[in-house]
Parts: sequence; C-alpha cells; structure tokens
Amino acid sequence: MHPVRLFCWHFMAYPYLPSDFDARYDSGWVTVPNTLWDRERAGDLYQGYIDQLVYADELGFDGMVLNEHHQNIYGLMPSPNIIAAALTQRTKHGKIVVLGNLLPLHRNPLRVAEEYAMIDNMSGGRLIAGLAIGGGPEAFNYNVPQPQARDQFWEAVDLIKRAWTEPGPFEHDGKYYPLRYVNLWPQPRQRPHPPIWIPGALSLETMEETAKRGHDYFLSSRAHGPATQRAAQRFGEIIRRHGGEFHPFRMGLLISVYVSESDEQARAESREGVWYFIKNTLKGHLRNHGRMLTFGIGVPSMTVASYDSFLKNARPENKMLGDCDSWEELDQFGSIIVGSPATVRKRLWELIEQAQIGNFLVQFHFGNMEDRLARKSMRLFATEVAPALRRDSADLFARSFPALGDIAMAGAAQ
Amino acid sequence: MSRALDVGGRAVAVAETGSGAPLVYLHGFADIHGSSSDWLPFHRALAAKVRVVAPAHPGCGVSEENEEIDTIEDVVFHYLQLLDALEIGAFHLAGASIGGWIAAELAIRLPERVRSLALIGATGLFVPQHPIADIFMMVQAKNGGDYSDFRHTLFRAAGAPEALAMFPDGRMPAERELLRYRMFRLASRIGFSPPYLHHRKLRDRLHRFTGPAAVIAGERDSLVPIAHARAYAQGLRNAQLKLVAEAGNSVAVEKPGEVAAAVLACVGRAGAASAVEGRDNALQ
Repeated sequence: MHPVRLFCWHFMAYPYLPSDFDARYDSGWVTVPNTLWDRERAGDLYQGYIDQLVYADELGFDGMVLNEHHQNIYGLMPSPNIIAAALTQRTKHGKIVVLGNLLPLHRNPLRVAEEYAMIDNMSGGRLIAGLAIGGGPEAFNYNVPQPQARDQFWEAVDLIKRAWTEPGPFEHDGKYYPLRYVNLWPQPRQRPHPPIWIPGALSLETMEETAKRGHDYFLSSRAHGPATQRAAQRFGEIIRRHGGEFHPFRMGLLISVYVSESDEQARAESREGVWYFIKNTLKGHLRNHGRMLTFGIGVPSMTVASYDSFLKNARPENKMLGDCDSWEELDQFGSIIVGSPATVRKRLWELIEQAQIGNFLVQFHFGNMEDRLARKSMRLFATEVAPALRRDSADLFARSFPALGDIAMAGAAQ
Repeated sequence: MSRALDVGGRAVAVAETGSGAPLVYLHGFADIHGSSSDWLPFHRALAAKVRVVAPAHPGCGVSEENEEIDTIEDVVFHYLQLLDALEIGAFHLAGASIGGWIAAELAIRLPERVRSLALIGATGLFVPQHPIADIFMMVQAKNGGDYSDFRHTLFRAAGAPEALAMFPDGRMPAERELLRYRMFRLASRIGFSPPYLHHRKLRDRLHRFTGPAAVIAGERDSLVPIAHARAYAQGLRNAQLKLVAEAGNSVAVEKPGEVAAAVLACVGRAGAASAVEGRDNALQ
C-alpha cells in the first residue's frame, strides 16, 4: 500500500516585525533593513523552530521540509543544510527534505553534492535532495544573471548526480563548472543516489527537463485547484513521452494548514499568524502591493516565448496569495486551509482526489504564530486528519495506479 | 528601412536612415529597438547629415537571441562580426546608455576604424562611490503596475511626458512588453553581474581611443551618476563633455535637437581632423 505522504514544512519566518511593517516597508525581501533584527528576542528562534520539526517527527509525519532563502523575513534559512544537520541528530524516522539548495547561487555545485552526501550519511539515508534554481529575490541577493541561470542550473544538477553515481575521479568539462577532478568523498548512503526533487512553478520547460532526467517534480506554485490537476496531468504526459512511468509519488505540492477544534476557533487562533504571513512575509514575493521581485522584466529568467505566453495567460489584475484580504478570498485561493479537522480533511481530500499527487508538503507555522498553536495544529492534523487521508489515498492510488505496488520508487517512497 | 544580416548564423536587424558618412548607432533602453520599433526624433535629426546605421543588439528588437552571450566581451565580438558583415570600413560611432558602454568597448578595440565616438548617458564604467542605479529592480512595477520608479531612473522625472508615453503605468500591448523584455534579457546577460552595467577594466583602457569624442549626459541622470560622464571625458584623450540641463539618462529623447547637434559637431571634428591628416579618402 502506498498512502499519501504527509510532510511538515517549516519556513522559519522572522516573527518580530513592528506592527506597522506593511505601511512602512515596500518589501520583506532583499532590501528589508536588517536593523529590524532583534538580537535579544531572536537568539532562541532556531532552537524553537527545530524543536517544532522534531515534534513533527514524533507525531509520525513522513518527513521535515526545509528550504533556502536569503536576506528576507519569510524564511531564515540561508543554509538549510545546517538545520538538516541538526535534524539528523534529533529525529529518527522522517525524511529530511531540503527543497532545495539554490544551485546558481553556489560557486561550485560540488559543495552541495558534498554537504548532501554528509547529511545522507548522518541521517542514515533519510535525505531527499531538492535542487532549485531560485527566484527573483535570490537573483538580486547574489546578483545571478537570470537569462543564463536555467542552463547553468541543469549543468549543476547533472554534475551533482554524476558525482554521486560515477566512479571518481573524473573530469567535468561543463561550460559553467569546468572541473578537472570530480571525486566525491563521502558518497551518499542511498543507492543509486538520494531522491532528487526539482521545484517548479508550472513551467513546461522545468517539467520537461525534470522528466527527461527521471527526477521528481515539486510544484511550488501557490495556485491550487484546477491548475494543480492540470500540472499533474501535464507532468504525467511528459514523463510517459520520455518513456517513464507516472505515479503520484513523482510529484509533490505545497499546502498550508491550520487545524483547530472548529472552523471558528481555527480562524480565531491562526488569525494573527496567517495574516502576518500573508501581508508581511509575502510582501515583495507573492503580493502585488509593494514591489514584487519574484518574477518579471527585471529578473528575466523566462525565455521570450514563455514570457509571451505568460502575458497572454496572466491578467494584470490576477491576484496572488499575498493579495487576499479576507478569509473568504483565502478559501477560494485554496492554498491556505484553515478549519476543523473535518474541513481540512475534506479540502485536502478534494486535492488528492483531483490531482492524485502523492507528496503533500504541509506548512503549519505561519509568520509570528505562537509555538503552542503551531504544535496544536500539527497534533490535531496528525491524529484527526492524517489517518483518514492515508487510508483513503492508499485505496485511491491502488485503484488509479495498479502498477504502483510493483514500482520501486527510487528510494523516495520507501 | 530595416534589413536582416547574418552574423554567426543568427539574424541581426539593422535599421538605416539618411545618407552620407556612416554613423553606427547602438541603442539603449528608451530607444529604437529597446522600447520603440521606429526611429525617434533624435535619429531623424542625425539622418539629416549622416547615414544612421542602427543594429538591434542580439535578442533585442527583431534580432535573434544568442544564448552564448554572457559578457560584454561576447557582445563586442558580435559587433566585430557585424561590422564586417556591414562592409563599412571607417565609421562614426554613437551609443546611448547600455549602447554607449558597448560603443566605448568597441572604440578602444578599433581605434583606427572609429572616426568619432559619441557617448550619450553611457553606462560601462566603475566609479567608486558612484554606483549605477539598479534599473533591474526599478523595472519591477510597484503595486502591480506602477512604473514611476523605472521612469525616474531613465528620465529627468517620472512624470516627464516622453517618459509616460514610452513607459506608461499598467500593462502595454504585448508587442511593446516583449520589446522591453528582450532588452532586459540582453542587459541582464551582460550587466546584472557585477552590479550593474559596467566593466571594471574599461576605464583604464579608454586612452586607446584618441579620436574626437563627445560625452553627453543629462544633468538629472538617475541611472548613471554624472561622475561617470566626467570619468569618460577624462579617460578619452580627445573628448568634449556636454551636460544637458533638464534631462536624465534618456537625454536623446528628452532633448533630441541639442544632443543631435552635439553628436554631429563631434562627427564634424573628425572630418576636420582627417582632412588635416589627409587620410579621409583612405578610410572611406
């Protein structure tokens, strides 16, 4: 049986912004002044956030998810590998999903291959290795020219995989990372290599390149609903075109959840954290108000053809997650689900049933949410939401993908 | 008006107008190929006296994109090939903004073929304490469609009528959006790192160009600090500096007559110089 896998994602937001932050600052990214960092109060932040992830492991989540961001208030992990290393020592069961290291920001991707190999060994083979290209804010953070970034990224992905799988030393004669000696010590624990997840935001180019290489795709888009289902169908078609076999565990998606006893109580308890997350941490990233840096003319990573179709499909008045102003709008957006166990179960089941995606990466902590509330939501989810989703999804996937029982999922689903 | 030339297997669009001695014009952001598919009044003023030859940079306008371009050096080599394809021996050279940078890089490599050099709001130099503004961040609209910071970067003021006509708020027709996108793809390839739009070694190489040069800048340039115009004028052996009042980086759009006159005066200085040296015919 292969039930949906439920992971706990922590962004590690900066929670101590002044209450008038939105009125005073254009962005929570790149230019947000670091004089807002409160040394006294922030000293224990990482410890508290790591403790929450350890709690997720104790609650039986399938894994803990971390990612890389720089110079921002949304996520305080410029190096998620450091948190991952800590988790190797404090967790026992779940996968450690680093989603991912931003390859074009690294001078030499071998460093990523090396650190991931260390984490894989230190965790007893629990690493899921996300490799990501980075978005607009990261382009500004490290001055990464965007037109070349994709090409550079895929060279780095291929180099890392070779370093994990081919006997060394060998020479890599790539355009961006020419190296005479590739000879990785240590080798990762998992064979042939840790699962490789590539995040993408619906672009067909990324799906194509991911499928071609046999890696798994993580949908980082915040637009859920029919778009999610379409993405899964497209990725499935592309995989089959490349002679591969699609099944739900070839894909993952990001969803945010707050669970409490009732819908009303869930809103009341999560109100402060959720709206802090939306209005402050998404400002500059997924919000039109202020200066959005995530994609556009100044960070032209899309090919001209992709930008052309983007202009045709995306209306300027389209809202992003950060533009939601009410609970009703949030509900419609479908990316943040707040409610009773029954409500959350129903909404997630709809997504599983429609999109048939097997990896759900769930954000529980929002912005400045109190520790006790995040833990409460995680606990209720683990005890009152997850069991039904696992049971029903195992049946559904077995019916929809009869071959699933026989498929070795490259370590990812073990 | 426009033709396509083959450079290394890729089509390059070259617009031409006017007659007389050839003047190769390299465009900037608020310019033909950069944001307009047609000539602007400034180019027409030049065309009254010279033959204006204006190629679109690789990937800009209807020129094909070249995925191999990573640095200014790659662009310079592209232009060396294009100049061969154009079959013009000696020529006058002018460039605006990022086009001014490319023009300066070309002039120091081809001092014997470039008869005169006009730099208009040119980027390209590293001047300590006077960084070139972040046009890449400024072109990211505020509040979903407010381009006032972008206009302010390129013009004397965000509310200047020429600025509003070229870069209005909100979304423009796809054709114009794509023109601007293509321009930023090229600018990003060569000028996003180091930040921004310069080549640190250029300044010490400027002395190689000894022909007549005009360095023209708007006094209210928000993209390239005036210190850069002064540095260009100092580094080039035979340069005249012209600062234009009530204009920004797009000084050729804001004050077309004044800038065209300054460029043509520089062209004239070359004519006089070569007549004296008696090499006019040899180089034609």
